[in-house]
Amino acid sequence: MDVAEIISHHILDHDWGVTLSGFRLPITTHTVTLFAVSVILLLGLHWISLGRQSRSGRLLTTLIEEYVTFIRDGIVLPNMGQEGKRFLPYFCTLFLFVLCSALAGLIPNMKTATANISVTAALALCSGGLILYCGLKFHGIAGFLKGFIPSGTPGWLVPLIFPLEVISMIIKVCVLAIRLFANMLSGHMVLICLLLIIFVVGQMHIAAGAGALLPAMGLELFMTLLELLVAFLQAYVFTLLTSIFAGSVIHTH
Amino acid sequence: MEDLLKPDYGVLVLTICNFLLLVYLLKKFAWNRIISGLENRERQIAEDKKQAQEARTAAETIKRELDEKLAQISDEAAKRLAEAVKLGEAQKEQILSAAKEQSERLIEQAKTQIEAEKNKALSDVRGEIARTAVLAASKVVQQQMNEESAKSVVARVLEEIKEK
Repeated sequence: MDVAEIISHHILDHDWGVTLSGFRLPITTHTVTLFAVSVILLLGLHWISLGRQSRSGRLLTTLIEEYVTFIRDGIVLPNMGQEGKRFLPYFCTLFLFVLCSALAGLIPNMKTATANISVTAALALCSGGLILYCGLKFHGIAGFLKGFIPSGTPGWLVPLIFPLEVISMIIKVCVLAIRLFANMLSGHMVLICLLLIIFVVGQMHIAAGAGALLPAMGLELFMTLLELLVAFLQAYVFTLLTSIFAGSVIHTH
Repeated sequence: MEDLLKPDYGVLVLTICNFLLLVYLLKKFAWNRIISGLENRERQIAEDKKQAQEARTAAETIKRELDEKLAQISDEAAKRLAEAVKLGEAQKEQILSAAKEQSERLIEQAKTQIEAEKNKALSDVRGEIARTAVLAASKVVQQQMNEESAKSVVARVLEEIKEK
Protein backbone atom coordinates (compact mmCIF):
# COMPACT_ATOMS: atom_id res chain seq x y z
CA MET A 1 0.00 0.00 0.00
CA ASP A 2 1.62 3.24 -1.16
CA VAL A 3 0.38 5.87 1.28
CA ALA A 4 1.93 8.76 -0.67
CA GLU A 5 0.11 7.63 -3.80
CA ILE A 6 -3.23 7.44 -2.00
CA ILE A 7 -2.75 10.90 -0.50
CA SER A 8 -1.72 12.31 -3.88
CA HIS A 9 -4.75 10.73 -5.51
CA HIS A 10 -7.02 12.26 -2.90
CA ILE A 11 -5.45 15.72 -2.94
CA LEU A 12 -4.29 16.28 -6.52
CA ASP A 13 -6.43 17.54 -9.35
CA HIS A 14 -7.43 15.03 -12.04
CA ASP A 15 -7.39 16.01 -15.68
CA TRP A 16 -10.35 14.57 -17.57
CA GLY A 17 -8.26 14.57 -20.74
CA VAL A 18 -10.63 16.59 -22.88
CA THR A 19 -9.01 17.93 -26.04
CA LEU A 20 -10.28 20.14 -28.81
CA SER A 21 -8.45 19.86 -32.15
CA GLY A 22 -5.40 18.57 -30.33
CA PHE A 23 -5.48 21.43 -27.86
CA ARG A 24 -5.84 20.32 -24.26
CA LEU A 25 -8.80 21.83 -22.44
CA PRO A 26 -8.31 22.34 -18.68
CA ILE A 27 -11.33 20.28 -17.74
CA THR A 28 -10.31 18.86 -14.38
CA THR A 29 -12.08 17.81 -11.20
CA HIS A 30 -11.31 21.17 -9.64
CA THR A 31 -12.50 23.26 -12.58
CA VAL A 32 -15.68 21.20 -12.80
CA THR A 33 -16.21 21.71 -9.07
CA LEU A 34 -15.69 25.45 -9.50
CA PHE A 35 -18.10 25.50 -12.42
CA ALA A 36 -20.71 23.62 -10.40
CA VAL A 37 -20.24 26.00 -7.49
CA SER A 38 -20.60 28.97 -9.85
CA VAL A 39 -23.79 27.63 -11.42
CA ILE A 40 -25.34 26.85 -8.02
CA LEU A 41 -24.41 30.30 -6.69
CA LEU A 42 -25.71 32.04 -9.79
CA LEU A 43 -29.03 30.20 -9.88
CA GLY A 44 -29.51 30.30 -6.12
CA LEU A 45 -28.73 33.97 -5.67
CA HIS A 46 -30.74 34.94 -8.74
CA TRP A 47 -33.74 33.05 -7.35
CA ILE A 48 -33.28 34.69 -3.96
CA SER A 49 -32.92 38.15 -5.51
CA LEU A 50 -36.31 37.75 -7.22
CA GLY A 51 -37.77 38.01 -3.72
CA ARG A 52 -40.24 35.14 -3.72
CA GLN A 53 -42.96 35.79 -1.23
CA SER A 54 -42.95 32.28 0.19
CA ARG A 55 -41.77 31.92 3.78
CA SER A 56 -38.52 30.11 2.85
CA GLY A 57 -37.90 32.68 0.08
CA ARG A 58 -38.23 35.57 2.53
CA LEU A 59 -36.01 33.77 5.02
CA LEU A 60 -33.28 33.27 2.41
CA THR A 61 -33.61 36.89 1.23
CA THR A 62 -33.18 38.09 4.81
CA LEU A 63 -30.19 35.77 5.25
CA ILE A 64 -28.50 37.06 2.08
CA GLU A 65 -29.23 40.67 3.02
CA GLU A 66 -27.63 40.07 6.41
CA TYR A 67 -24.65 38.55 4.60
CA VAL A 68 -24.35 41.58 2.30
CA THR A 69 -24.61 43.89 5.31
CA PHE A 70 -21.84 41.92 7.03
CA ILE A 71 -19.54 42.15 4.00
CA ARG A 72 -20.33 45.85 3.52
CA ASP A 73 -20.19 47.05 7.14
CA GLY A 74 -17.69 44.54 8.47
CA ILE A 75 -15.17 44.28 5.64
CA VAL A 76 -15.54 46.76 2.78
CA LEU A 77 -16.49 50.09 4.41
CA PRO A 78 -14.04 49.94 7.36
CA ASN A 79 -11.10 49.17 5.05
CA MET A 80 -11.95 50.94 1.81
CA GLY A 81 -14.35 53.66 2.89
CA GLN A 82 -17.26 54.85 0.78
CA GLU A 83 -15.14 54.33 -2.37
CA GLY A 84 -15.30 50.61 -1.72
CA LYS A 85 -19.09 50.44 -2.04
CA ARG A 86 -18.88 50.08 -5.80
CA PHE A 87 -16.78 46.92 -5.33
CA LEU A 88 -19.28 45.34 -2.93
CA PRO A 89 -20.54 42.80 -5.53
CA TYR A 90 -16.94 41.65 -6.06
CA PHE A 91 -16.35 41.05 -2.35
CA CYS A 92 -19.75 39.41 -1.86
CA THR A 93 -18.96 37.01 -4.69
CA LEU A 94 -15.37 36.42 -3.54
CA PHE A 95 -16.37 35.36 -0.03
CA LEU A 96 -19.09 32.98 -1.21
CA PHE A 97 -16.93 31.58 -4.01
CA VAL A 98 -13.99 30.80 -1.70
CA LEU A 99 -16.31 29.42 0.98
CA CYS A 100 -18.34 27.21 -1.34
CA SER A 101 -15.22 25.95 -3.14
CA ALA A 102 -13.79 24.87 0.21
CA LEU A 103 -17.06 23.38 1.46
CA ALA A 104 -17.51 21.44 -1.79
CA GLY A 105 -14.69 19.17 -0.61
CA LEU A 106 -16.88 17.97 2.24
CA ILE A 107 -19.39 16.56 -0.27
CA PRO A 108 -18.58 13.00 -1.39
CA ASN A 109 -17.08 12.72 -4.90
CA MET A 110 -16.32 16.44 -4.99
CA LYS A 111 -12.99 18.11 -4.36
CA THR A 112 -11.82 21.13 -2.43
CA ALA A 113 -10.89 23.34 -5.35
CA THR A 114 -9.08 25.82 -3.11
CA ALA A 115 -6.57 23.09 -2.22
CA ASN A 116 -5.15 23.68 -5.72
CA ILE A 117 -2.41 26.30 -6.05
CA SER A 118 -3.60 27.22 -9.55
CA VAL A 119 -7.10 28.03 -8.26
CA THR A 120 -5.88 30.10 -5.31
CA ALA A 121 -3.33 31.83 -7.55
CA ALA A 122 -6.14 32.73 -9.95
CA LEU A 123 -8.19 34.20 -7.12
CA ALA A 124 -5.14 36.07 -5.81
CA LEU A 125 -4.46 37.42 -9.33
CA CYS A 126 -8.06 38.70 -9.46
CA SER A 127 -7.54 40.39 -6.10
CA GLY A 128 -4.20 41.77 -7.35
CA GLY A 129 -5.99 43.10 -10.41
CA LEU A 130 -8.56 44.77 -8.20
CA ILE A 131 -5.83 46.38 -6.07
CA LEU A 132 -4.09 47.62 -9.22
CA TYR A 133 -7.38 48.93 -10.62
CA CYS A 134 -8.15 50.78 -7.37
CA GLY A 135 -4.69 52.38 -7.34
CA LEU A 136 -4.89 53.51 -10.96
CA LYS A 137 -8.55 54.57 -10.73
CA PHE A 138 -8.20 56.76 -7.66
CA HIS A 139 -4.66 58.11 -8.07
CA GLY A 140 -3.64 57.69 -11.72
CA ILE A 141 -0.39 56.00 -12.77
CA ALA A 142 1.93 58.59 -11.20
CA GLY A 143 -0.05 58.80 -7.97
CA PHE A 144 -0.27 55.02 -7.71
CA LEU A 145 3.49 54.63 -8.16
CA LYS A 146 4.12 57.47 -5.76
CA GLY A 147 2.06 55.63 -3.18
CA PHE A 148 4.80 53.00 -3.01
CA ILE A 149 7.17 55.58 -1.52
CA PRO A 150 6.38 56.29 2.12
CA SER A 151 6.14 59.99 2.94
CA GLY A 152 9.30 61.43 4.48
CA THR A 153 11.60 58.99 2.69
CA PRO A 154 14.97 60.66 1.87
CA GLY A 155 15.60 61.03 -1.86
CA TRP A 156 18.64 58.78 -1.89
CA LEU A 157 16.58 55.94 -0.34
CA VAL A 158 13.83 56.05 -2.98
CA PRO A 159 15.61 53.72 -5.49
CA LEU A 160 15.90 51.17 -2.71
CA ILE A 161 12.50 51.63 -1.07
CA PHE A 162 10.41 51.72 -4.27
CA PRO A 163 11.34 48.22 -5.54
CA LEU A 164 11.01 46.87 -2.03
CA GLU A 165 7.50 48.28 -1.68
CA VAL A 166 6.49 46.95 -5.12
CA ILE A 167 7.86 43.51 -4.23
CA SER A 168 6.11 43.76 -0.88
CA MET A 169 2.77 44.32 -2.62
CA ILE A 170 3.41 41.41 -5.01
CA ILE A 171 4.36 39.19 -2.08
CA LYS A 172 1.19 40.18 -0.25
CA VAL A 173 -0.86 39.00 -3.22
CA CYS A 174 1.17 35.79 -3.51
CA VAL A 175 0.74 35.14 0.20
CA LEU A 176 -3.03 35.39 -0.27
CA ALA A 177 -2.82 32.44 -2.67
CA ILE A 178 -0.38 30.41 -0.60
CA ARG A 179 -2.24 30.91 2.70
CA LEU A 180 -5.56 29.70 1.29
CA PHE A 181 -3.93 26.82 -0.61
CA ALA A 182 -1.86 25.65 2.38
CA ASN A 183 -4.74 25.80 4.85
CA MET A 184 -7.11 23.86 2.64
CA LEU A 185 -4.47 21.35 1.58
CA SER A 186 -3.22 20.66 5.09
CA GLY A 187 -6.75 20.09 6.37
CA HIS A 188 -7.45 17.55 3.67
CA MET A 189 -4.11 15.84 4.14
CA VAL A 190 -4.82 15.43 7.84
CA LEU A 191 -8.29 14.05 7.06
CA ILE A 192 -6.98 11.42 4.64
CA CYS A 193 -4.06 10.56 6.95
CA LEU A 194 -6.46 9.91 9.82
CA LEU A 195 -8.48 7.57 7.62
CA LEU A 196 -5.32 5.83 6.44
CA ILE A 197 -4.34 5.08 10.05
CA ILE A 198 -7.11 2.46 10.12
CA PHE A 199 -5.79 0.70 6.99
CA VAL A 200 -2.09 0.99 7.88
CA VAL A 201 -2.72 -0.42 11.38
CA GLY A 202 -5.12 -2.99 9.90
CA GLN A 203 -2.36 -4.27 7.58
CA MET A 204 -0.26 -5.06 10.64
CA HIS A 205 -3.12 -6.92 12.35
CA ILE A 206 -6.81 -6.98 11.62
CA ALA A 207 -7.70 -6.62 15.34
CA ALA A 208 -5.42 -3.58 15.67
CA GLY A 209 -7.11 -2.06 12.65
CA ALA A 210 -10.54 -2.63 14.22
CA GLY A 211 -9.25 -1.09 17.47
CA ALA A 212 -8.00 1.98 15.63
CA LEU A 213 -11.36 2.42 13.91
CA LEU A 214 -13.18 4.32 16.65
CA PRO A 215 -10.36 6.72 17.66
CA ALA A 216 -9.57 7.44 14.02
CA MET A 217 -13.23 8.11 13.18
CA GLY A 218 -13.55 10.37 16.23
CA LEU A 219 -10.53 12.36 15.13
CA GLU A 220 -11.87 12.39 11.57
CA LEU A 221 -15.15 13.89 12.78
CA PHE A 222 -13.28 16.46 14.83
CA MET A 223 -11.07 17.40 11.89
CA THR A 224 -14.09 17.66 9.58
CA LEU A 225 -15.70 20.13 11.96
CA LEU A 226 -12.38 21.97 12.14
CA GLU A 227 -12.28 22.04 8.33
CA LEU A 228 -15.73 23.57 8.35
CA LEU A 229 -14.49 26.31 10.65
CA VAL A 230 -11.30 26.78 8.60
CA ALA A 231 -13.37 27.12 5.41
CA PHE A 232 -15.32 30.04 6.87
CA LEU A 233 -12.20 31.52 8.44
CA GLN A 234 -10.14 31.38 5.26
CA ALA A 235 -12.93 32.85 3.14
CA TYR A 236 -13.15 35.69 5.64
CA VAL A 237 -9.37 36.18 5.78
CA PHE A 238 -9.02 36.16 1.98
CA THR A 239 -11.81 38.72 1.55
CA LEU A 240 -10.65 40.86 4.45
CA LEU A 241 -7.01 40.97 3.29
CA THR A 242 -8.06 41.81 -0.26
CA SER A 243 -10.13 44.73 1.05
CA ILE A 244 -7.29 45.88 3.32
CA PHE A 245 -4.75 45.84 0.46
CA ALA A 246 -7.20 47.59 -1.89
CA GLY A 247 -8.00 50.12 0.85
CA SER A 248 -4.30 50.76 1.42
CA VAL A 249 -3.83 51.82 -2.21
CA ILE A 250 -7.01 53.94 -2.18
CA HIS A 251 -6.11 55.71 1.08
CA THR A 252 -2.34 55.88 0.80
CA HIS A 253 -1.87 57.90 3.96
CA MET B 1 3.62 14.97 -4.48
CA GLU B 2 5.74 17.59 -6.24
CA ASP B 3 2.75 18.15 -8.54
CA LEU B 4 1.08 19.90 -5.64
CA LEU B 5 3.10 23.05 -6.16
CA LYS B 6 3.20 22.89 -9.97
CA PRO B 7 0.73 25.42 -11.34
CA ASP B 8 -1.58 24.37 -14.12
CA TYR B 9 -1.91 27.47 -16.28
CA GLY B 10 -4.98 26.15 -18.05
CA VAL B 11 -6.77 25.74 -14.70
CA LEU B 12 -5.48 29.17 -13.64
CA VAL B 13 -6.85 30.92 -16.71
CA LEU B 14 -10.11 28.99 -16.61
CA THR B 15 -10.55 29.83 -12.90
CA ILE B 16 -9.95 33.53 -13.57
CA CYS B 17 -12.47 33.48 -16.42
CA ASN B 18 -14.94 31.50 -14.32
CA PHE B 19 -14.62 33.80 -11.33
CA LEU B 20 -14.76 37.09 -13.25
CA LEU B 21 -17.73 35.85 -15.27
CA LEU B 22 -19.43 34.83 -12.04
CA VAL B 23 -18.77 38.28 -10.55
CA TYR B 24 -20.26 39.92 -13.62
CA LEU B 25 -23.31 37.66 -13.81
CA LEU B 26 -24.01 37.80 -10.10
CA LYS B 27 -23.69 41.57 -10.15
CA LYS B 28 -26.13 41.77 -13.05
CA PHE B 29 -28.65 39.17 -11.93
CA ALA B 30 -28.44 39.13 -8.15
CA TRP B 31 -26.26 41.55 -6.21
CA ASN B 32 -27.57 44.77 -7.79
CA ARG B 33 -31.15 43.79 -6.99
CA ILE B 34 -30.31 42.55 -3.49
CA ILE B 35 -28.12 45.57 -2.64
CA SER B 36 -30.60 48.11 -4.00
CA GLY B 37 -33.43 46.37 -2.11
CA LEU B 38 -31.34 46.45 1.03
CA GLU B 39 -30.42 50.10 0.60
CA ASN B 40 -34.03 51.04 -0.12
CA ARG B 41 -35.15 49.31 3.02
CA GLU B 42 -32.35 50.92 5.04
CA ARG B 43 -33.34 54.31 3.63
CA GLN B 44 -36.98 53.59 4.48
CA ILE B 45 -36.03 52.54 8.00
CA ALA B 46 -33.87 55.65 8.44
CA GLU B 47 -36.75 57.82 7.19
CA ASP B 48 -39.23 56.08 9.48
CA LYS B 49 -36.82 56.48 12.36
CA LYS B 50 -36.41 60.16 11.58
CA GLN B 51 -40.19 60.62 11.35
CA ALA B 52 -40.68 58.73 14.58
CA GLN B 53 -38.06 60.92 16.22
CA GLU B 54 -39.79 64.06 14.94
CA ALA B 55 -43.17 62.77 16.10
CA ARG B 56 -41.68 62.01 19.47
CA THR B 57 -40.18 65.48 19.73
CA ALA B 58 -43.55 67.02 18.74
CA ALA B 59 -45.38 64.83 21.24
CA GLU B 60 -42.91 65.82 23.95
CA THR B 61 -43.43 69.50 23.11
CA ILE B 62 -47.22 69.10 23.23
CA LYS B 63 -46.95 67.21 26.50
CA ARG B 64 -44.77 69.93 27.99
CA GLU B 65 -47.25 72.59 26.86
CA LEU B 66 -50.19 70.62 28.24
CA ASP B 67 -48.35 70.07 31.51
CA GLU B 68 -47.71 73.79 31.76
CA LYS B 69 -51.37 74.54 31.00
CA LEU B 70 -52.50 71.93 33.50
CA ALA B 71 -50.26 73.45 36.13
CA GLN B 72 -51.69 76.89 35.36
CA ILE B 73 -55.24 75.54 35.56
CA SER B 74 -54.47 73.81 38.85
CA ASP B 75 -53.03 77.02 40.27
CA GLU B 76 -56.05 78.99 39.07
CA ALA B 77 -58.47 76.43 40.50
CA ALA B 78 -56.66 76.42 43.83
CA LYS B 79 -56.72 80.21 43.90
CA ARG B 80 -60.43 80.37 43.07
CA LEU B 81 -61.22 77.68 45.62
CA ALA B 82 -59.36 79.64 48.29
CA GLU B 83 -61.29 82.79 47.33
CA ALA B 84 -64.61 80.90 47.43
CA VAL B 85 -63.79 79.46 50.84
CA LYS B 86 -62.85 82.93 52.10
CA LEU B 87 -66.07 84.43 50.69
CA GLY B 88 -68.11 81.61 52.19
CA GLU B 89 -66.50 82.17 55.58
CA ALA B 90 -67.29 85.90 55.41
CA GLN B 91 -70.89 85.25 54.38
CA LYS B 92 -71.25 82.69 57.16
CA GLU B 93 -69.98 85.18 59.72
CA GLN B 94 -72.33 87.85 58.37
CA ILE B 95 -75.36 85.54 58.43
CA LEU B 96 -74.54 84.33 61.93
CA SER B 97 -74.08 87.88 63.18
CA ALA B 98 -77.37 89.03 61.63
CA ALA B 99 -79.21 86.05 63.07
CA LYS B 100 -77.75 86.67 66.50
CA GLU B 101 -78.77 90.33 66.39
CA GLN B 102 -82.28 89.48 65.29
CA SER B 103 -82.69 86.82 67.95
CA GLU B 104 -81.44 89.18 70.64
CA ARG B 105 -83.88 91.85 69.46
CA LEU B 106 -86.78 89.40 69.49
CA ILE B 107 -85.84 88.18 72.95
CA GLU B 108 -85.67 91.78 74.18
CA GLN B 109 -89.07 92.58 72.65
CA ALA B 110 -90.56 89.47 74.18
CA LYS B 111 -89.12 90.33 77.58
CA THR B 112 -90.53 93.90 77.43
CA GLN B 113 -93.90 92.61 76.34
CA ILE B 114 -93.91 89.98 79.06
CA GLU B 115 -92.97 92.60 81.68
CA ALA B 116 -95.77 94.91 80.53
CA GLU B 117 -98.26 92.08 80.50
CA LYS B 118 -97.09 90.99 83.93
CA ASN B 119 -97.42 94.52 85.37
CA LYS B 120 -100.83 94.94 83.89
CA ALA B 121 -101.93 91.61 85.24
CA LEU B 122 -100.56 92.42 88.67
CA SER B 123 -102.34 95.77 88.68
CA ASP B 124 -105.56 94.09 87.68
CA VAL B 125 -105.14 91.44 90.36
CA ARG B 126 -104.40 94.03 93.01
CA GLY B 127 -107.50 96.05 92.14
CA GLU B 128 -109.66 92.96 92.12
CA ILE B 129 -108.28 91.80 95.45
CA ALA B 130 -108.82 95.20 96.97
CA ARG B 131 -112.34 95.33 95.74
CA THR B 132 -113.03 91.87 96.96
CA ALA B 133 -111.45 92.57 100.34
CA VAL B 134 -113.38 95.77 100.75
CA LEU B 135 -116.53 94.00 99.79
CA ALA B 136 -115.82 91.23 102.25
CA ALA B 137 -114.80 93.54 105.00
CA SER B 138 -117.76 95.80 104.43
CA LYS B 139 -119.99 92.86 104.78
CA VAL B 140 -118.25 91.78 108.04
CA VAL B 141 -118.04 95.11 109.68
CA GLN B 142 -121.11 96.59 108.08
CA GLN B 143 -122.10 99.54 109.99
CA GLN B 144 -119.49 99.03 112.76
CA MET B 145 -116.81 100.92 110.96
CA ASN B 146 -116.73 104.32 109.57
CA GLU B 147 -115.25 105.24 106.29
CA GLU B 148 -111.91 106.20 107.82
CA SER B 149 -111.33 102.96 109.60
CA ALA B 150 -112.35 101.11 106.47
CA LYS B 151 -109.65 102.85 104.46
CA SER B 152 -107.10 102.04 107.12
CA VAL B 153 -108.06 98.37 106.99
CA VAL B 154 -107.89 98.38 103.20
CA ALA B 155 -104.42 99.96 103.30
CA ARG B 156 -103.16 97.34 105.75
CA VAL B 157 -104.54 94.57 103.69
CA LEU B 158 -102.85 95.97 100.64
CA GLU B 159 -99.54 96.14 102.51
CA GLU B 160 -99.83 92.53 103.52
CA ILE B 161 -100.55 91.55 99.94
CA LYS B 162 -97.47 93.41 98.73
CA GLU B 163 -95.35 91.72 101.32
CA LYS B 164 -96.59 88.36 100.16
